[in-house]
Amino acid sequence: MITDARPDGRRWMGVGQSSTTESRTAAAQAARAALTGAEPKLLIVFSAIEHDPTHVRAGVRDVVGDDVPVIGCTTRGEIAPGGATDGTVVVAALGGPGFAATVAAAEDVTGRQRDAGVELGRSVTEIPGLPHRVLLLLTDGLVREQEQILRGCYSVLGASVPLFGGSGADGWRMKQAYLIAGDRVLTNAVVTATIHSEAPLSVGVRHGFRTVGEPMIVTGSRDGRIQTVDDRPALDVYLERLGAPPEAYTDKDACVRFVLPRPLGLQRRNGVDARNVSTQIDLDDRSLGGGGNFDHGGLVWAMTGDEQSILAATDAACQEALAGLGDHEPVGLLTISCAALRAVLDDDAVQRDKARLAKWAESAPFAGFYAYGEIARARGIHGFHNQTLAVLALG
Amino acid sequence: MTNIGGAYHDGQQLLELLAVVSECLDEESAARAAAERAAQALDAEVAAVVIDDEVAAVVGFPVGRVPAADLVAVARRELDKVDVPGVGCCRAIAADWGGGRPGHLVLARGGEPGFSVEERNVVRGMARLLELALTMLRTLEAEHEMRERSERQAAENAELLASLQQRQRLLEHLFDVQRAISRRRPLPQVLDMIAGAARQLLGDGAVGLWLRDDSDPQQITLVAGAGLAVDTELETPSMPLAEAGTVGAAILSGGVVVCEDDSSDGLAAMAAPVHDSGTITGGLVVTAERSGRSYAPPEVQMLQSFAEHVSLALTDANTVDRMHQAFHDSVTGLASRSLFLDRLAHQLELTGHGGGRVALLFIDLDRFKAINDTLGHAAGDTLLTITADRIVAQLRDSDVAARFGGDEFAVMLQNVSSAGDAAKVADRILRGLHEPMRIAGRQLQVNASIGIALSTHGMADPAALVRRADIAMYRAKRNGRGRYDVFADEMLLAFTDGETQPAP
Repeated sequence: MITDARPDGRRWMGVGQSSTTESRTAAAQAARAALTGAEPKLLIVFSAIEHDPTHVRAGVRDVVGDDVPVIGCTTRGEIAPGGATDGTVVVAALGGPGFAATVAAAEDVTGRQRDAGVELGRSVTEIPGLPHRVLLLLTDGLVREQEQILRGCYSVLGASVPLFGGSGADGWRMKQAYLIAGDRVLTNAVVTATIHSEAPLSVGVRHGFRTVGEPMIVTGSRDGRIQTVDDRPALDVYLERLGAPPEAYTDKDACVRFVLPRPLGLQRRNGVDARNVSTQIDLDDRSLGGGGNFDHGGLVWAMTGDEQSILAATDAACQEALAGLGDHEPVGLLTISCAALRAVLDDDAVQRDKARLAKWAESAPFAGFYAYGEIARARGIHGFHNQTLAVLALG
Repeated sequence: MTNIGGAYHDGQQLLELLAVVSECLDEESAARAAAERAAQALDAEVAAVVIDDEVAAVVGFPVGRVPAADLVAVARRELDKVDVPGVGCCRAIAADWGGGRPGHLVLARGGEPGFSVEERNVVRGMARLLELALTMLRTLEAEHEMRERSERQAAENAELLASLQQRQRLLEHLFDVQRAISRRRPLPQVLDMIAGAARQLLGDGAVGLWLRDDSDPQQITLVAGAGLAVDTELETPSMPLAEAGTVGAAILSGGVVVCEDDSSDGLAAMAAPVHDSGTITGGLVVTAERSGRSYAPPEVQMLQSFAEHVSLALTDANTVDRMHQAFHDSVTGLASRSLFLDRLAHQLELTGHGGGRVALLFIDLDRFKAINDTLGHAAGDTLLTITADRIVAQLRDSDVAARFGGDEFAVMLQNVSSAGDAAKVADRILRGLHEPMRIAGRQLQVNASIGIALSTHGMADPAALVRRADIAMYRAKRNGRGRYDVFADEMLLAFTDGETQPAP
């Protein structure tokens, strides 16, 4: 499958996808399909966890030389026009004289998330003639406190550069996600590409969940987890609010199944953020956690969503990103969606969601993956999200 | 709904700012943490702390491109916009603090709309708390240096040690107060705690907290205190603001007032204003025990700290109240009609995905209007409150009870397998309500009629289920009151055949 778009011929994006089970071949096929123009500047690889990342990296190198930077990560599902969602390799390529990219990596990130962010922020340069920039970050999704990585970046860059990206995933095994940085495969790391462009680059983000009932107050929190809300065990109140079946209270698998499509809403000034709490269920102490810290005294909500509300969020995120391009047609979209949304969307619904993306992309290609966290900072200083679709429109 | 959440969020942000800054060990890191937290709270791209016409901390600009002169100009109100790389021209606001080392908190944000009145209040509140935290850190740093010196000089400096211990106690007290606020301890308890701590640390005769009356802002009432001749739990003295001496002056002037010999009895006093959501609503006053007392600047600052914590507690408690009121019936405390319908809609949605059935009980008190008319509204309200308590006593935690208005109540039972399950609950409610109630000095016995309806497969509209329960309730009333009836499809036909239509 080959798709491309070249509004003025100076910038192009191509996307390739391969379902071949042999990792090196799959990566090479996808990379070759993605190279739809001259002067490739950056290859971004999204690979299913079933593929060996060292072979994936080698397969991409079989197609492009050392002079083209490559970054990538493993996923909980791949996003590309029309193809399968699992077990594939997707490659997005950017190129042409109107684009440039510089890549960087920070390693041993756990315990020094903020410093790692500062390092990556310092790696961002300026290139004369390419005034528009975005910092694309792919992180190891099993590293905690990812917001601190972004705070580190922001302390160096301020609002001058939007942040976009996602947390690499491991097919929901929760053991080990991998990142690709050039010829290396990394864990406990963050890899970045600064994309420089002649034309605007614009970020949009939305979640597709609505609050249920009244808000609850966090009356007990410890180590960033919620012990109690409204002075009662947090997990029990949350399950009650949502009318969970009896087995969700006692059986971990049943609990995860129930909680996955029902995020916990965290009140913010202009709305409610959705947080996935399914990965850190604790049936013994009845607490809730996940997706970053919860502050004592904060306001939280039970939330729910369905295919319709999520498709509406897809529309809104795409619209927001495309609006930021002004008069420019998009040459392509990067779309990073939350792994937990797949608990709401069955396989058919995932295809309908992709059809929605295709509608907004019009003739332009799009590529992305299902992540353990989405990165999108275009306003304010908050940039790490859960349960959302984050879209980068490249003008 | 989001507005209420937003207002709550604003109050919470003040506590969070205090918590974040309290963890810092020096002024520089405290200023940086405060700037970041303020930007996060206001969804702003830029936040800066400006002290002595210099930018002490800033977030939002690329390193090396901070427009320090512009930020200082915003702090001085000479500018209200600032150019932010990546965003463009941003609206900028500032809030100030005075004291020994005056400073400013500056925020800038792109896009529309500008900063609202509420947001400006939050920024002002943050500036006040920041002043408090920075001053305390500065004092601690100075004292730490002195302590190192004094340790070398042996422990001869008893005064210094006492002062250090007092600082330590202040921090401990304030920490306890902050914890009590964020754990939502009852407001009177928190206020008494603050008054007690102030009295202990200032070593004075009495501490009193006076608040303006809701109905007459020119009148103030004593609501909490320590070392007072009156017990505020038993009596709450009230007086005109204009005659309230030091505390009245503090409320009227909006600043701390120190009076070396209060005109009433020749004793020194000082008072600081307290705020609720940015508006001055009262004052905290300390009165000396003996004549000849004077107040040193650190003691004035200490009083301000306590007054600031009173403001936090008031704002927080009232916001929680307002939020609760938005979702609950003010008389009974049960869920409001809209909250109930929202929860019911969600439960029906789950039922559609294979969850258990939902039962709805529609409860109408018999003869409520007669009681209300003969014994008065207060008696009517008492009856409603007792009714609500008795209904809730028969329910599980997962069930929801609501007052729909007037004498109508509704109950949602989750995961019900048959109408028999719901009927058992209805029967228990009827028997509970039939127990005698003591209202307005009389022994009353009330009855209720209950209609029961169960969700059917595919039923998504909560109004449809409410209507069925309502029809069944109407049937129960017709069948002799004090009983329940379960909805059956033929009841719909009976209505269309000419029975009086129930209220929608």
